[in-house]
Amino acid sequence: MAHRLEKRVLLEHAEDPALRTLDGYRRLAGGYETLERAYKEMEQDEVLKELEDSGLRGRGGAGFAMGKKASFLPRGDMAKYLCCNADESEPGAFKDRELMQRNPHQLIEGIAIAALAADAGHAFIFIRGEYDEQADILDAAVAEAYEAGYLGTNILGCHRDLELVVHRGAGAYICGEETALLDALEGKRGNPRLKPPFPAVQGLYGGPTLINNVETLSNVPHIVRRGAEWFKGFGTEQSPGTKVVSISGGVKRPGNYEVELGIPTRELICDLAGGPEDGHEIKAFFPGGSSSPVLKAEEGLDLPYSFEAMAEAGSMLGSGSIIVCDDRVSIPHLALRTARFYHHESCGKCAPCREGTNWTVKMLERMVRGEATPLDLDIVSSVQQNIIGHCLCVLGDSMAMPVGAMVRKFREEFEAVMENPELVLDPHAVVQAPPETLGASA
Amino acid sequence: MSPAGREVTITIDGREVSAIEGEMLHDAARKGDVEIPYFCYEPKLGDPVGACRMCLVEIEGIPKLQTSCSTPVREGMVVHTRTEQVKHAQSAVVEFLLVNHPLDCPVCDKGGECPLQDISYGWGPGKSRVIDEKRHFEKPIELSPLVAIDRERCILCYRCVRFSQEVSEDAQLQLLDRGDRTYVGTFDDRPYVAPFHGNITDICPVGALTNYTYRFRARPWDIEHAGSVCTLCPSQCNVSFTVRDEKVKRVISRDNAEVDDGWLCDRGRYGFEMFDAPERITGPRLKGGDETGWEQAIAKAAEGLRAAADSSHSGVGSKSVAAIVGDASNEEGFLLQRLLRDALGSPHIDSRPSRGPKASVLRRLNEPKISAKVSDIDEADAILVLGTDPLHSSPILDLRVRKAIRRNGAKLVVATERPTALDGGAEAIARFAPGQAAHFVGELAGALGGRENVATPISGTLADAEKVVVIWGERIARENGAAEALLEVASAVGMSGSEGSGLLEIPDTTNARGLREAGCLPDAGPGLAETTAGMATEEIRKGLISGEVAGLILFGADPLRDFPDTPAWEEALTAADFIVCWSMHENGTTAKADVVFPLETHAEKDGTVTHPDGRLQRVRPSAGRPGDIRPNVLVLSDLAANLGLVTGIDSQPTAFAALTEAVSFYNGIEDEQIGGRGLRWQDRDSSTADLAKNVVMDEQRDAPTSVVQPDPTPRGVPSSDSVATPHSDGSLLLGTYRDLWAGPITELNPPLKFLTPQQRVEISTADADRLGLRSGDRVRVSQNGAGVEAEVHVKERVSKGVVFMAEGVLDGNANALRGGGPVQVQIEKLSEVRA
Amino acid sequence: MSPVDGPGISNPNLPVDPAVREGRVPGRAEEEIPELHEVDCPPELQERIETLMGRYPDRRSASIPALWAVQERYGWCTPEGVRQAAAVMRVTPAYLESVASFYDLLHTKPVGRHRIEVCTNISCWMRGGDRLLDAFKAAAEGDEDFFVTGFECLGACDIAPMASINQRYYGPLEAAEAGTAIEQLRADAEVLPEKNLAKRGLAGDS
Repeated sequence: MAHRLEKRVLLEHAEDPALRTLDGYRRLAGGYETLERAYKEMEQDEVLKELEDSGLRGRGGAGFAMGKKASFLPRGDMAKYLCCNADESEPGAFKDRELMQRNPHQLIEGIAIAALAADAGHAFIFIRGEYDEQADILDAAVAEAYEAGYLGTNILGCHRDLELVVHRGAGAYICGEETALLDALEGKRGNPRLKPPFPAVQGLYGGPTLINNVETLSNVPHIVRRGAEWFKGFGTEQSPGTKVVSISGGVKRPGNYEVELGIPTRELICDLAGGPEDGHEIKAFFPGGSSSPVLKAEEGLDLPYSFEAMAEAGSMLGSGSIIVCDDRVSIPHLALRTARFYHHESCGKCAPCREGTNWTVKMLERMVRGEATPLDLDIVSSVQQNIIGHCLCVLGDSMAMPVGAMVRKFREEFEAVMENPELVLDPHAVVQAPPETLGASA
Repeated sequence: MSPAGREVTITIDGREVSAIEGEMLHDAARKGDVEIPYFCYEPKLGDPVGACRMCLVEIEGIPKLQTSCSTPVREGMVVHTRTEQVKHAQSAVVEFLLVNHPLDCPVCDKGGECPLQDISYGWGPGKSRVIDEKRHFEKPIELSPLVAIDRERCILCYRCVRFSQEVSEDAQLQLLDRGDRTYVGTFDDRPYVAPFHGNITDICPVGALTNYTYRFRARPWDIEHAGSVCTLCPSQCNVSFTVRDEKVKRVISRDNAEVDDGWLCDRGRYGFEMFDAPERITGPRLKGGDETGWEQAIAKAAEGLRAAADSSHSGVGSKSVAAIVGDASNEEGFLLQRLLRDALGSPHIDSRPSRGPKASVLRRLNEPKISAKVSDIDEADAILVLGTDPLHSSPILDLRVRKAIRRNGAKLVVATERPTALDGGAEAIARFAPGQAAHFVGELAGALGGRENVATPISGTLADAEKVVVIWGERIARENGAAEALLEVASAVGMSGSEGSGLLEIPDTTNARGLREAGCLPDAGPGLAETTAGMATEEIRKGLISGEVAGLILFGADPLRDFPDTPAWEEALTAADFIVCWSMHENGTTAKADVVFPLETHAEKDGTVTHPDGRLQRVRPSAGRPGDIRPNVLVLSDLAANLGLVTGIDSQPTAFAALTEAVSFYNGIEDEQIGGRGLRWQDRDSSTADLAKNVVMDEQRDAPTSVVQPDPTPRGVPSSDSVATPHSDGSLLLGTYRDLWAGPITELNPPLKFLTPQQRVEISTADADRLGLRSGDRVRVSQNGAGVEAEVHVKERVSKGVVFMAEGVLDGNANALRGGGPVQVQIEKLSEVRA
Repeated sequence: MSPVDGPGISNPNLPVDPAVREGRVPGRAEEEIPELHEVDCPPELQERIETLMGRYPDRRSASIPALWAVQERYGWCTPEGVRQAAAVMRVTPAYLESVASFYDLLHTKPVGRHRIEVCTNISCWMRGGDRLLDAFKAAAEGDEDFFVTGFECLGACDIAPMASINQRYYGPLEAAEAGTAIEQLRADAEVLPEKNLAKRGLAGDS
């Protein structure tokens, strides 16, 4: 049974393994009924209107209005494409994994309906190569959908075709950036492209392409089934709907929780996820994955968990992934760990990100070793400023913003560590909590 | 790529600048005299990548700075390039680029001509804040024996890999790894072997890619630049020589969009050390090796030629001296034909290695209305590559065709004997058997007229296109009727009525067109004017053997190596009474000469050459002449004087004046008009009128035959699955081609020695299986007793029943086999490759 | 870079690269698109790659899937395997190597057949990921059958600290379990059954 604070829409019935099969999906969730109605009775513009009216915002990190994005695709005879971004690699995010593993058909139905809105004839699920098990599950589900006639040529006799290909990535965070995803899907190195032109106009193979996150597309059958008004009944005015939030780090019950957007962050972290481990307090948290500037406990816990509230606080909701840092975490070491991630994942195309990430890592390493001075701290801040706004894509900013925020908000900690590195007793931070408190085993 | 759009006005730094809608802001700024620093932007390499971030500017209305290289201009755009925000960004980007860049300037070849130095100085922070260790790579290492790569210096501007992907399309140079570990490399560290790879040293903005041939040779303040034209192949690319102490140290491109688009092939780029090779002939010599003074040599040559001219072995009135011209400038060619016709009274002069069309046909081919210029390729709707592989015969055109397909959506069709490098990008490919070119072109003319035949697969593309450019190899015209059939094809696609359509010839020798127009043809004088008919090349050869021709002048020609049927030429040269030879270095032909004169290279010569599309270009002396070499224009003039002909030519300007006067369609061209970029004679207003004056319209004379007679040695009818039906005796039909690297270029230039081609026989998979052969086996290829050894090279795309070998290879020259036409050969295995 | 002179020769199951046999002689080696008859591609591999190519509007999109197929066949992206894929796909081997070298899961050097990726990103780091990695490295020390590496966020922060073992997720793991897992892999037994992600329920379910 779900937690009382959860509002399960996407994860409804997800505890039942039968949901994975076509029969189970049909039986438990009325699966594919909406697809049938949409294909047989609705026009492209009708579907688009429903999506636009719902105010559904992208669940992959950017938070852009999904319906509006879909409407950017030009009309005409040319081949159009739909890409499902299942390259979830943001540290702290594991919600798409849950959705694909437990409810693959919901995603497939969402893709098929969104393809109708975009008039796409070819769809791809770009799933990160590490999600091998989930990709296998998707393969099986897609095969079932083909067999049932929901994919392929002349779907349900409606003279519409849709080919769906599950494409496995090979391990690169940058492929989650939509234009880098397109390059990777085209069989190249995953380098981002210049924008403009935007993928909606010139995307995959140069044609109009709609790119959406797994969770975003999973919402589509529900919106089309129950209507935009129903959807707007959850969440806030600027952030309607539910959100599957991944919570991890220094909490008792890390995991995925589906909640209404706008829920107080404290309820998410301390009620749903059980709060900090006994004897410890929350120092700070990332509200939207490692790319979001950290919020101190006193800054952020009492904010509503929504796109607008997080943006106003100088951070972002992003993909909706909360990483909690308790008092044992050394912020300079956290900054180093974060910077190392971006340094590893930088594609290397543009100079500010490529050189900025490796320079930042080198400086932070010196800091935690005690081979730095406060001047270096100023240089680190300056380098983050030099990166922001000058790169080809957002990866550079994704390091510079959180690292910059950490230096700004926890400067005394940095200075203390530089002065005396032995202050950090255990650079590996938190000791593992006893197993009983970590989520139930099925 | 020039956008054809309306004019708009934008404001940059408070000034109004006129631009074309849709062009990149960076280009518009440059035209408006605003300097925006950049590294990765290079329109010749395709779409902008926006990777270096150096060209960031502020555009009103957009909060984030934008890369000017990728932002198209719009009416009313307001741009700022010198605000604090922009300066901060520029300084930041330079700082980032220098974070891992090694401080190599004192030992780096690029120093002094380095954009990174210049931009760091102009836009960088001035002081470094980096105290951490920079990233390291093994350096420098061989990217190829010619190019060194220093990965630490690389700023990852992507230019070299873009060149490899999008210009030369060899896709061998790639980026490897990710992030700050990224580096430029090849598959499995193998050498980068491709005929255009030298260009990456030109476009690299730092000292990461440098030439081994120029390593530590000079600093920019030690050298001078001198512009000329490369005469190593018909591409006639414009080059700039880097000269130190009168010696050429380096060759770089002089960027002529009408000729070479700013690229050079490796032949022209690295083939300069031969200018100073010890093998070079630096003064006149007599047979047996005795060096002699100029006056004596000229006197001896005159004496011998006069004797040969006066002797008559077969009948009264027979003229007994002939000349074959190869590597020569227009002025030299003009003087040679004067020497022959006016001083020696002989009409036997030719400038082709084998047969060719009659002058009347040549005049029709020369018509400006059906002539294409090189830049027409860029805008063509359809391109036909006929009977030649540009990669080997005129490399720079290979790049041009690729560009047209890639940037402009041109459709390519290929019709050749042998697979070409361009096959991969072709819409349709037709293969004909060696010796069947004339037949095929006739079929093509028919197909364009609606008949269904073997040429139909490619005719559709040509018929549908508005602008058609046909790039054809001169050697198809060795077959009777081929040139006429080509004219029919031109007519069938309406070439004369379509602006931007035309024929573009790829001849066998560099200045073939210029020499023809200067009068080095047996049946045409200067300006392709009518004249008494004489013997063509093959007839000259027969004449030498029979004794009808007693004396021979060879100017820049090596028949024993380059002309088909070596045994026959051996016989001919041995039979000659007197041979005067001009050559750059000693070879089999000069060994047989009675007097040998030195030849100037394109770094020493002063003269003009004519590009196959009609552009006169200036070859200028850029380096010192080694030894005792004298300008051949003066030598020929002296020789003529010795033979009693006063030419009045005593300098390049007088030679040029005489040339332009004699060639009707060159009349009035001044040296300044040619300048550094050349001048197409067809582009001058009076040209068509002049041509009409001297051209006798041949409509009545040579009634065009409606049925083209194929070559009288048919070897099988072209069919859909095999181009040549296998003979009952298991023999295969041999086709030959001129390999890019076959020739003295690899023997006289030490850095290029590794490219010396070994003779290979290219064979289809089916025939290889039938004969039990695998790639690497050594075989003997023979015909009528004559044979050469070669290595087997199995290639999928070679047609069944046909094999190919290269001409001009030192060991195992295919010319040794050909008897004047495609021959049947037997293949016998000698040894197998190791398993 | 790919050490061709290693297992390529001594391991009879791996295809031998002509560069090993003939040497890297410039002027001879034409690394343009290899022809099928030059590479000796196993028919199953060719068929698999051709099927993959057929699924996409542009055959080049099959680059990563083709490299996966080569890696599955040979254990890593061997130079000769890459040439085989290049011949089937009609692209240059350099192009495929460039793509392979960009991604973390495609290996251009030989690696052990048991792949263990231990997450050392933020949430796992906070819960002992570094120590877990050390434990795995110690347990697999010297054994060429194992490839142990740290990895970035694998998308399983709910079971931190965790590891991906032969493409399946296990966690939360204690350092001692590293040794157990290695032994189970050696014995071909089921790996840490109670820690397999597939067996977990939703976090919100009590």
